[in-house]
Amino acid sequence: MADLRPILLVEDNPKDLELTLAALAKCQLANEIVVARDGAEALDYIHQRGVHADREPGDPAVVLLDLKLPKIDGLEVLERIKSDATLRQVPVVMLTSSREEKDLIRSYALGVNAFVVKPVDFNRFFDAIQDLGMFWAILNEPPPRGVNAH
Amino acid sequence: MNTPLDLDACAQEPIRIPGGVQPHGVLLALAPADLSVLQASANVSSLLTLKPGVAKAERLEDFVGGDHLARDLKDWLAREEGAFLRTCDMGGRVLQVLGHRNSQGAILEFENPPASERETFEALYPLLRGFMDDIAPTDDVNLIANSAARLARELTGFNRVMIYRFDPDWNGVVIAEDGDGVLPSYLDLRFPASDIPAQARELYRLNRLRLIPDANYTPVPLEPVMSPTDGRPLDLSFAALRSVSPIHLQYMRNMGTLASMSISILVDGRLWGLISCHSAEPLRVNAQVRAVCDFLGQIISLQIGARERAAFAAERIELKRTETRLLAELARADNYRNGLIEHPADWLGMAGASGAAVIAEGEIKVVGATPPIEHLSRLAAWLHNHKVDEVFASDNLAEHWPDGEMLADTAAGILAISISQIHASYIVWFRPEVLRTVTWGGDPRKGDVGTPLQPLSPRASFERWKEQVRLRSNPWREAEIETARDFRNAVISFVLKRAEEKAELTEALQRTNKELESFSYSVSHDLRAPFRHIVGFSELLGEREKSLDEKSRHYLDSIKDAALSAGRLVDDLLNFSHMGRTSLNLTRVDMDKLVREVRHSLEPDAEGRAIEWDIQRLPPAWGDGAMLRQVLANLLDNAIKYTRDAQPAKITITGEERARDTLYRVADNGVGFDMAYVDKLFGVFQRLHRVEDFEGTGIGLALSKRVIDRHAGDIFAEGTPGGGAAFTFVLPKR
Repeated sequence: MADLRPILLVEDNPKDLELTLAALAKCQLANEIVVARDGAEALDYIHQRGVHADREPGDPAVVLLDLKLPKIDGLEVLERIKSDATLRQVPVVMLTSSREEKDLIRSYALGVNAFVVKPVDFNRFFDAIQDLGMFWAILNEPPPRGVNAH
Repeated sequence: MNTPLDLDACAQEPIRIPGGVQPHGVLLALAPADLSVLQASANVSSLLTLKPGVAKAERLEDFVGGDHLARDLKDWLAREEGAFLRTCDMGGRVLQVLGHRNSQGAILEFENPPASERETFEALYPLLRGFMDDIAPTDDVNLIANSAARLARELTGFNRVMIYRFDPDWNGVVIAEDGDGVLPSYLDLRFPASDIPAQARELYRLNRLRLIPDANYTPVPLEPVMSPTDGRPLDLSFAALRSVSPIHLQYMRNMGTLASMSISILVDGRLWGLISCHSAEPLRVNAQVRAVCDFLGQIISLQIGARERAAFAAERIELKRTETRLLAELARADNYRNGLIEHPADWLGMAGASGAAVIAEGEIKVVGATPPIEHLSRLAAWLHNHKVDEVFASDNLAEHWPDGEMLADTAAGILAISISQIHASYIVWFRPEVLRTVTWGGDPRKGDVGTPLQPLSPRASFERWKEQVRLRSNPWREAEIETARDFRNAVISFVLKRAEEKAELTEALQRTNKELESFSYSVSHDLRAPFRHIVGFSELLGEREKSLDEKSRHYLDSIKDAALSAGRLVDDLLNFSHMGRTSLNLTRVDMDKLVREVRHSLEPDAEGRAIEWDIQRLPPAWGDGAMLRQVLANLLDNAIKYTRDAQPAKITITGEERARDTLYRVADNGVGFDMAYVDKLFGVFQRLHRVEDFEGTGIGLALSKRVIDRHAGDIFAEGTPGGGAAFTFVLPKR
């Protein structure tokens, strides 16, 4: 059963944004792609405040989160989501340019659901995004709201 | 050398407090305050008008006879300093009076010198003057000693005057002698240290002259025996009339001498030697002549001291020059040990050695004639255990270290300096055994022949006795030891400086590493991104523009390929630096499984190729699984790549478990390489093939080597051009 809630893509780099959107478009997902350009905006969306105060209520189907972000960086956004009992079950996928071990270890410690190092090879990037999009947006049945997923 | 038993006994003889005096004079001990008589020798009435046993205050004038002397004595006592010496004529009798003080009172000694020796200082002076002229031009200590012996005999009339010099072990050697033939010559003979025990030497150092006019004398007791001042025996250390040990009198009689006088030669406060005078018959020497002899002793003390210091300084300057030259070389060398090895002549010359070794930091380096290496580490351990933390010098190593006996041909003598506070690190100089024949004035070992009935018996024989001295080298000279001490300080400062530099370097390296880490972190984010973008947009453009002509498609593909390979290069470089930085996670690694997985991951590369794989069972490895996967991936990737043109391609993977390690080998029948370039193979960016022939970043093997190095293992390659290549790596077992 397809989850048609929006996908939140948090990406500051316009080129990465464009490529990721292109990759997601290829997946031909029905989900709306909401873009936040920094960590603060991402949190605003999630908490339905600021520029996103008037959005439709509900959590995103998945958050695709870049690691390096202006204002509030990706790891902190991850931490805030995963330390909030009402948001914890929202799947978060870390997209990063880095294969730094410490980022990876920190992400998993914070409860990330997947960690993707953006490959140089676009086709592999495409495959990765497609896999992710399909898995989290289509196959992943969200748990009922308010139930602790862990 | 064995210590004769009689030294112990003799060393306990109460030589400073014998309780009596020699009978050729009279001794009084007075209370300086009221001039009352505290003690008197029993023979007091032989020279003075005082009755024996009288100890109450009486007028000095009454018993010393003569107002003049009494007044001088009172003046002297009032001054509370200096010694007293007067010759006075008392009713036709000449009396010589000596006075000195100690804590027990003022001690006066009265002598009545023989009439024939009534010489004055004025008469003696020209002899001294002539002596000074004789020795002025010479630097030779032996010539000075000869002149002194001649003069002393002329002054005193003894049958034989010897100049006796102590060696470092306090044996005495007769270096000069003047005699009239009545007594045998002892020139060049050596006398054992036990002949003059330590306490006697100490007394000789304090009181420079003693005289025994007749060895057959009967001592005259003091009355009362104990000093009323403190209830102890009177200290006669500085008394000319001090009665000597009966052992010494026996020694004199055994030597055939009835009279003796000795004058100490002190150099820098140390007993250097003696002017030792003997006579076959009893002989008295008046106080004036004794004073001149004492003066003579002091002159030659100064002369010898000055010449020894000059000789020492000259030698020291010469050695210092060598030392300085060597230190300059050490400063230039990459480390001081190499500096030493590269300059053997100065290293040895600095200490006049025939061999030298530096034992430090787990390494032993030697020049010249030294004991075998395996003994040197034991020597260093011995020095360390014996807390040699500065300088150790011995011309007889075996005496201190029994194992040294078998090393005598190269190391009978060693001079060692410690160059570390903590470790057993030493620089050691060696000298070989020098066999010497020493002629003793009598067998030094027979001095201890004592019987229960006669426990204290000095040796009776002064017959020459030759001894072959073994296990000894030439002695280390003071200048050599001092130079070594200086050298030690310099080397230690080198070592410390190096350690500091090393610490600084380490700190700088850590800083650089930290910078590098943050650099590679940003590179991994920022440098990869543009390549990814180029590839991504080229891909999108290619998909969008279906109508691109062939040329345009080729250009676009080239853009994409270039960006791809640049991106891969960044990835590989980051991976390479990553391998150097991350800690090893050592576990037992199933290498069969790892090879299977790696082969599977490389299948796309091998697609469409006919490759004959020969994979044998591999022993498990002890290592970091993720890192070893990288190594296998690189080696298999290379094997697949370089067998591209082989028909058919053959790749063999074998392993071997050995005693201490496990070995793995990946061999192929590909293009191989020229062994001339084997050293370049494992360097970063080293390629042996053109990029258009075989793609790759030139990092794979460098990365593999880094991984294996971090496992403390070994990796090597064999190959022939066109004949295939084989890569072998070895990992230590747990």
